[in-house]
Amino acid sequence: MEAYLVAIAIVTGIYVLLALGLNLQYGLTGIINFGHVGFFCVGAYTAAILSQHGVSLFITLPASAALAALAAWPLGLVSLRLRDDYFAIVSLGFSEVVRLIVTSERWLTNGVQGIPGIPRMFADLSGMSQASAVLGLLLVLNLVAIFAMRRMVSSPFGRMIEAIRDNEEAVKALGKDPARFKLRVLMLGSALAGVGGAVYAHYIGFIAPEQFIPLITFQIWMAIIMGGVGRVSGALVGTIILMVFMEGSRFLRDVLPFISEVEMASVRIGIVGLALILFTIHRPQGLMGDYTRK
Amino acid sequence: MTVTRRQTLAGLAGALSLPAFSGVSFAQAGGTFRIGALNPVTGAGSPYGSGMQKMILAAVEAVNAAGGAAGRKLEVFAEDTQTQPQAAVLAAKKLIEVNKVQAVLGTWASGVSLAVMPLTNEAGAILMNTSGAPALSVAPANAKGLGYRFQATNDRFGRAFAEIAVKEGFKRAATMAFNNASGIGNTEGFRKAWEAKGNKVVESVVYEPNQASYRGELQKVLAAKPDVIVTGSYLADTTIILREWFQTGENTKWIIPGWAANPELVKAVGNEVAEGLFSVDSVSNEQAPSFKVYDEAYRKAMNQGGLSNVYAAMTWDMVITLALAMEAAGPNADVAAINAKIREVANPEGTKVYSFAEGKEALKKGKINYEGASSVLDFDQFGDVTPDFGVSIVSKGTIERKYVVKI
Repeated sequence: MEAYLVAIAIVTGIYVLLALGLNLQYGLTGIINFGHVGFFCVGAYTAAILSQHGVSLFITLPASAALAALAAWPLGLVSLRLRDDYFAIVSLGFSEVVRLIVTSERWLTNGVQGIPGIPRMFADLSGMSQASAVLGLLLVLNLVAIFAMRRMVSSPFGRMIEAIRDNEEAVKALGKDPARFKLRVLMLGSALAGVGGAVYAHYIGFIAPEQFIPLITFQIWMAIIMGGVGRVSGALVGTIILMVFMEGSRFLRDVLPFISEVEMASVRIGIVGLALILFTIHRPQGLMGDYTRK
Repeated sequence: MTVTRRQTLAGLAGALSLPAFSGVSFAQAGGTFRIGALNPVTGAGSPYGSGMQKMILAAVEAVNAAGGAAGRKLEVFAEDTQTQPQAAVLAAKKLIEVNKVQAVLGTWASGVSLAVMPLTNEAGAILMNTSGAPALSVAPANAKGLGYRFQATNDRFGRAFAEIAVKEGFKRAATMAFNNASGIGNTEGFRKAWEAKGNKVVESVVYEPNQASYRGELQKVLAAKPDVIVTGSYLADTTIILREWFQTGENTKWIIPGWAANPELVKAVGNEVAEGLFSVDSVSNEQAPSFKVYDEAYRKAMNQGGLSNVYAAMTWDMVITLALAMEAAGPNADVAAINAKIREVANPEGTKVYSFAEGKEALKKGKINYEGASSVLDFDQFGDVTPDFGVSIVSKGTIERKYVVKI
C-alpha cells in the first residue's frame, strides 16, 4: 500500500510542477497556453537523451529546464503579440509540432519506438527508499517553485504581470511593454514543465511520442480550474483533487460490485468528468479561488 | 446551492476514505492465487482492451470451474491502463501493493509494458504482455526472466513477410507503415530480411494515423513501380488505402498483416478490391480445439467472432498457461516455482493439450505441451514465441489459407 501511495504522490508531484507553471502563465498573466505538454515533452526528451549519454542527473534536470525555456522563446517571440485566443491556437499547434518532431527525428529520439531504459534517479538505492528519494526530490523542487512564485507575486514583476492579465491596454498606456513580460513568464512556466518532464522520464524509464498528447495539457488545465486559477495553493490543491479522483475511483469497484470490470474503466472517467462539471457549476472560482473579487 | 470549501474538503476526505470501507479486498485470502488483468480498456488500445479483459475473466472462470490450479482458485483484479504508461504504472502499483497480485496479465502497448515491467520485476511477479518492442525480451527489461510475450515480435512478422515475398517471386517491394512502433517494426523487420536476401526496397513510406485520405503517400509508393507493397497497418487505414489504390488502377500485390487483412476488411472494401491480397498471420491455431473453446467464450462475451481480436486469444492463453504452470508446480508453490514451470507446460515434448481441464488430467500422467488459441505457444529463452505464419489469399471474398511459413 505504501509504495502505491508513494507512486501516486510522485505523479502528483510531477503534475504540481506542471500546474504551477501553467498557473503562472494563465492564472497570473492571462496567457492561454494549450501547449503545455510540448514543453513537458522537450524536458522529458532532453533528460532521456542526455542521460543515455551518461550525463548525470544533476545536469539533466537543469538542462531540461533550460531547453524547455529555450523552446518557449521563439514561440513567444512570434506569437505573444497575438490576441489571447489566437495564442491558444498557436500553442496547441506548437505542442503537436513538438510531438511530430520527436516522432520523425528518429536519429535523435528513436521515433515511435521511444527511448527505453532511461536511468532511474538514485539508482544506488532500491525499492521504497529509491521511491522515497524521488518523492523527496520532487518535494524540494515543488517547495522551491512555490517559494519562488510567492516571492514573485509580491514583487513589482508580479504586480506587473497581474496588471497585464487584468488590463493589457492600460499597461501599454503606462509605457510598459507587455510582450516582454509575457515572454519571460512563458519561458519560466515552460522551464517548470521541463523539470517535470525530466523527473517523469527518469521515473517512468520509458518515453515515446504517444505519451505527450494534448490530453496531458488539459488534465493540467482541469487541475488548475478545480483548484482555483491564479492561486499558488490552487495549483497544488487542484492537482491533488485530480489525482484523488483519478486514483480514488479505482476503488469504486469495491463499493459498486454490480459494475463489471470492463465497464469500470469508463465509469471512472465518467465520474472524473462529472466532478469537473459539478466543480464548474458550484465552485467556478475553484476550491482555493479568490472570493474577494467578483 | 453553493458549496463551501469546508464541505468540499469533507467530501473529498470521504471519497479518499472509500477504500477503507472496502477492506475485504485487502485481506490476504488463503487458498487463492491473485492475478491482475491490466488491459487497455480506454485509450488507443480500446478496440481490443475490453475483449482482452473479458477473456481473462472467462478463462479464469473456466480454470476455477475445473477445480482451480493445484487446489487454488484464481482471483482476478482488473485495471485499465488507459494505454498510457503513467496511468499504467499507477494501476500496476495498485494491483501489486493493494491487491497483492502475483502475476500481471495482458499489457498491450510496448510503452506500457516497458513501464510496468520494472515494477513486476521488483515485486517478483510475472508479467505477460502482448507488445511488439524488441527491448522487452532482454535485460534490463526482462532481467529476471519473469516476462512473457504472447505476441510474435514485429521483427518476426517482418521476416515472415520477406519469406513470402521471395517465395511468391516478387522483385520490387515497397513498404507502407503506420507511424507507431508496431507498424514500423513490421516494415523494418521486412527490410532487414529482404535486403539480407539481396533484394532492394524500392520505396518506403511512413504515414500518420487518422487521415481521411492516403492518396499522397500512395502515389509516392506507386511512383517507384513496385510489384508488391508490404504494410505495417491497421484495419481503418488499410481500408482507405486499398480503396484509393483500386481507384488508381495499378496492378500491385499487397502483403498485409492478418490483424488488418481480415474478413471485416474484405467486407469494407468489397470482393473486387480485396481479390488477391496476401494476409499474413501468426497461425492462430484456428483449427485447434483450444481456439474453439476460446472462440465460443469470445462470442458469448463480445458477440463477435474470436478472430476479430487476436490479443484476446493471447490473454485467454495467458490464464490457461499460468494455471497449468501452477498445476505443474504443485500446491502452494511460490511465483518463482510457477515461473520455472511455464516453459515446461507450454513447449514441446509432452502430450498436446488444448484446455486447462485436459491439461490438468494429462499432468497426472506426465509432461504436457499446451497448444494455445493464439499460437502453439512455445517460448524461447527470452520468453518470446515464434509462431508459424499462415499465408492466406483473398479469393472471391473469402480468405483462404494457402500455406504456412516457418522462420
